[in-house]
Amino acid sequence: MMSKSKDQTFHLEAKDINVWFGERHVLKDVNLQFPSNQVTALIGPSGCGKSTFIRTLNRMHELIPTAGLAGSVLLDGEDIYDNAVDPSQVRLKVGMVFQKPNPFPTMSIKENVISGLRLSGRKSEISDELVEDCLKRASIWNEAKDRLDEPALSLSGGQQQRLCIARSLAMNPDVILMDEPCSALDPGSTRRIEETILELKATMSIVIVTHNMQQAQRVADKTAFFLADDNQPGYVVEFGDTQQIFNQPVDARTNDYVNGHFG
Amino acid sequence: MNLEPAARPETAEPWARTTARARVLQIAGSILPIAISLFAWLIAGVNPIVVVLLVLLPTLLISIGTVGFILKGKRGIPDAALIVMTFFLGAFVMVLLVSVVWSLLEAGFRALSPQFIYQNNTYVTPTDGLEFGGVGHAIIGTLLVVGLSTLITVPLGLATGVYLTETRSNGRGFVRVILQAMAGLPSVVAGLFIYSVFIVTGISQYAGWLGALALVPLMLPTISRVTEESLKLVPQELRNGALGLGASSWKAFFQVTMPAAKSGIVTAILLGVARVVGETAPLLLTVFPIAGTNLNLLSGGMATLPTYIYRFVALGFDTSVARAWGAALVLMILVGILFGLARYISRPKSLKKKKVKR
Repeated sequence: MMSKSKDQTFHLEAKDINVWFGERHVLKDVNLQFPSNQVTALIGPSGCGKSTFIRTLNRMHELIPTAGLAGSVLLDGEDIYDNAVDPSQVRLKVGMVFQKPNPFPTMSIKENVISGLRLSGRKSEISDELVEDCLKRASIWNEAKDRLDEPALSLSGGQQQRLCIARSLAMNPDVILMDEPCSALDPGSTRRIEETILELKATMSIVIVTHNMQQAQRVADKTAFFLADDNQPGYVVEFGDTQQIFNQPVDARTNDYVNGHFG
Repeated sequence: MNLEPAARPETAEPWARTTARARVLQIAGSILPIAISLFAWLIAGVNPIVVVLLVLLPTLLISIGTVGFILKGKRGIPDAALIVMTFFLGAFVMVLLVSVVWSLLEAGFRALSPQFIYQNNTYVTPTDGLEFGGVGHAIIGTLLVVGLSTLITVPLGLATGVYLTETRSNGRGFVRVILQAMAGLPSVVAGLFIYSVFIVTGISQYAGWLGALALVPLMLPTISRVTEESLKLVPQELRNGALGLGASSWKAFFQVTMPAAKSGIVTAILLGVARVVGETAPLLLTVFPIAGTNLNLLSGGMATLPTYIYRFVALGFDTSVARAWGAALVLMILVGILFGLARYISRPKSLKKKKVKR
């Protein structure tokens, strides 16, 4: 694994990101820096472009028809949108956990964990130790250890989501992006995933989109507040330490949002 | 507090409880119209089709409707009408299907014997008894011609289905229109096309491979459209999940999307084979039917079951018509075996069977 000791350089950095769908401008001039080994939360009302933004960070955005983009995303100083860069190589380093748990239905629990290695042709890295390690780090090992060969869909929704996290961990990514990973889960599963996130940040950076203010305060070191006015592109209102965003926001709109006055 | 699991009581399905009164009423309501119909048919001697349509259906509607009204009030009437119509139409389709299969069994069974399956028709005249000759050559011919046609069409059809779902190409609309047009193509035109391109121009004599080619445009639209539909049912989240793990689109398709659509793709191939296995006209124009066995698709004549049936019915002798029925029965059994095999091979792994509901 690469060294994570570069304190001054940002692990992942979005520069002047503008996004369009067709002719519609949906994100304007987003500049965010994601420090190594920290959790960054993206908050904001629905439709402000958080999910769109997070998908630009590992080039999943371009899979949507009519998508357009300007700006650059630097991963350890290299632009992932450079012509010479293969998007699948980017996604190996920047993993993603989706809003809806999406384990592969034709595979068993174990096969799901190693599916990424198979899909990217890294079969030599597959081992039972790796499966166990990933499931442990995603805190689902105790529930799954006796049924590794059962279909992934036999797990409950919260377990499926942790399996998806384990699946990303097997790739040993530098960054994991999470798009509202707990929106479909009960409080117990949510708590487990939050604990997992806090453990994971020792070895990687995490970016998480959430609608849950308490969740952002519990897990995030940094928080970015997104907002979009009616029919206008979304933008970042305020970005800073989580404590500052929630306790001493500079912008009045941030204050209103984190205190539940709109959104 | 006692948290031990309890045995399931008899009344564990409170929603399924039917009172004795309701049951009696329902049985009486169904028996009465059947009794009236039987009376009209057997005693009064009315044509059974007339009885079913003009006596059984209306009396069933009225009596079940009345029972529904007694049990549930006004809202019971449309319920009853729907139930009666569903059962009636379902039974109607079953009767049609069973009668087709039954008449095939009845008429075809006369010709059926081990020798009918494995012998060919060399030196057998149409008036010879059924103990001579068989359709072995036609079975082999059908398997070879349809087999070659399937080998050609499956890659084309699957590729077309994949093109229509997995790409964002601008040509997809055009391809869909062409496929629709192909689906409407009369099979004789497909035969004529191959005939005029290969036989009239002298490129080839009549041969099995020309028959296989003539079946391709008939099979292609079925396979590609059904493949397209089954791939469309695979949730986009699965593709994103695979791509998000750094998979190339190639691997994401073959390891995630296609396995998820596997049973649909097998169905596509089966429907495609079913579409062409009984085709006669294209084969009449491209493959010369002979009485002997020919294993060579590249040259010479070759009998197939549909053309065999066509020829022997046209001859008109009692024995030749019996042979045609026998061949039709063999064709049906052959298709049944092929479908059973395909379903068996493509059955879901035990992985899916163990699916635990939580």
